[in-house]
Amino acid sequence: MSGEGKPAPGATLGPVVGIAAGAVLIGAMLVSIHSAVKSAGERLATPETDKPAVAIADQAEAAYCTPQFKQVLERVLHSCGLVEGQSRRGCKPADVKTFASISDEDFNALFRPLRERGGVILYDTGMEELDDGAKKLIEDRWADRKGARYFLVVARASKTGSPDKNQALSHRRANSVFMHIKESSGEPDVDKKVGLLWLGSEYAQLDPKEFCQWTNSRAGTKCDDDAVNRSAFASWVDCRL
Amino acid sequence: MTRISSLVALVASLLGLLFASYSTFDYAKHLDRRLHDIHCSIIPGAPVTDSADACRAAMYSPYSALMKEKFWGGVPISLFAVGAFCFFVAFSLYLVVSGDRAPRKAVQFFALATLAPVGASLLMFFISLTKLGTFCLICVGIYISSTLLGVSALLGYLGLRGEIRASGGKVGSPYARPDTGGGPGLRPDVGWTHPPAWLVALALFTLAPAVVYASAMPDHRPYLGNCGSLKVQEEAANALIKMSTPRSTMPTTLFEDPMCPTCKAFHERLLAEDVFDKLKVQLSLFPLDSECNWMLTDPLHPGACIVAKAVICGGSQARQVLEWAYENQEVLTKAGKQGKEQLRAVIQQKWGPATLNCMDEKQTAQTLNRHLHFAADNGIPVSTPQMYFNGKRFCDEDTDIGLRYTLGQIAPEVLK
Repeated sequence: MSGEGKPAPGATLGPVVGIAAGAVLIGAMLVSIHSAVKSAGERLATPETDKPAVAIADQAEAAYCTPQFKQVLERVLHSCGLVEGQSRRGCKPADVKTFASISDEDFNALFRPLRERGGVILYDTGMEELDDGAKKLIEDRWADRKGARYFLVVARASKTGSPDKNQALSHRRANSVFMHIKESSGEPDVDKKVGLLWLGSEYAQLDPKEFCQWTNSRAGTKCDDDAVNRSAFASWVDCRL
Repeated sequence: MTRISSLVALVASLLGLLFASYSTFDYAKHLDRRLHDIHCSIIPGAPVTDSADACRAAMYSPYSALMKEKFWGGVPISLFAVGAFCFFVAFSLYLVVSGDRAPRKAVQFFALATLAPVGASLLMFFISLTKLGTFCLICVGIYISSTLLGVSALLGYLGLRGEIRASGGKVGSPYARPDTGGGPGLRPDVGWTHPPAWLVALALFTLAPAVVYASAMPDHRPYLGNCGSLKVQEEAANALIKMSTPRSTMPTTLFEDPMCPTCKAFHERLLAEDVFDKLKVQLSLFPLDSECNWMLTDPLHPGACIVAKAVICGGSQARQVLEWAYENQEVLTKAGKQGKEQLRAVIQQKWGPATLNCMDEKQTAQTLNRHLHFAADNGIPVSTPQMYFNGKRFCDEDTDIGLRYTLGQIAPEVLK
């Protein structure tokens, strides 16, 4: 028989081609896989330079948060001992004059952007008790927090009476707002959010022409120079400190 | 086996190798812990498309790799396919070149061996159908290649049986030439020495890529858990949603958006890995919707604030509401884009008017606001999902293919 005892011509071609192809193919794949994994390892050890920046969650920061506004806010919240459960709450008018270093008009202008955000709580003469309208306005404003970190209460008194008496009265008015928030919200961390400022009757009185147009707790009632200053302005403030 | 069926088997093997290689190299790219596009098309070299989502879902699933606890990302199963298809390419080439001189046992072995890729493809197809609910096109390419390979090998085997009948069961010498060694169709007999060798070769080919991959893997341990921590671990008014089971042990804070597809996939992975029930979860809802979230200028997931309120209103059933939202995310997303009322109608249909009333309450809006402020107080990245174990952040890179490995390193108890 032709070729007995030794392979016939071409009989071993198939196995040889198969083995060679298999060896080349698996060899190439192993080298590629090794290279791909090693390359990933090298990238892993190299800090990513073109990594897209991710925004960081934070409280809101509105356009009205000018350096001057923040100065007032920071002083009210921190320097005057308002936050973190410290015993003294509130700034005296004298403090405001010192730290704000701005005119009454400019001071009030700082709050102009808060017209829609805040509300003016009106009081009876010589009183600090909140009526139902005042309570509702405070609760509504408190509920509308959005991204704000701080809630600011700026209390005043009309020029009727002595400055000392008015200072004490505006202090009580600011506290009445604070206490109502604390009671109605039931939130444990109100102290850390609310900043109180009482101005008495000496500094930054509100101009009725402008501020009687703002949302107040006694809509439809007479609003004049005395009425608008027997008040506390309350608003969330969308500023970061 | 006819030369044609061998040729078909060769083409099928090459296609299978191509798809398995795509899958493998896509997987290997992710070992650098960065984001990469995924090739996901049955047309080799086609650009990245939306269908990549299905491939990503398959890649991130627990079924994509083995030994995920031992290696970051595990050893992708596509590596075994790469090795096996290399073998089938070589073997089918051997059959093509040998033609009717190929030993009968080679044809029989080939037919038998192709049952392995066919069986594996059937298994993965079943998993895709029942567990993933989606089909990755690259995987489909592998299923088709395997099927084609199996069918061609079967046809070759059936052709061989015809030859045996025609030759009356005679076999030729291993060295005989068909034209002189007994006539056409008389194939050489290689005895029983070759099949075990082929089997060993198949095993070696199948395992070799996995061994090389595992041996070249970088050490990911230095990178785990370096992604920050919570400044404030508890929400002052206890507004966050608590979820736990009798098996829960690990204090975990999750930031999730019920309308976020990545959150849905992550939640499903935690469930599939049997991890979620072992977590003592406090969930801070973080809807990426500018309607309630001031950190965004535009709604990334319209309606997410509304669905988040529904989850809050779920109370003790919050987990069920969240999982319902994930299961019905496509419907909710569509409704959310149509408008608030459409979305509310979908929620009402499932959870009733009481939930809707609760969602409208001022208190619910305030609770959701507290969730968002919790995120702001902690200065977390504006992205979802995020997971913190005992206040320590799980890196985003470790929430998908590296999840099981990272859990094994950071909190092995949740894998027990």
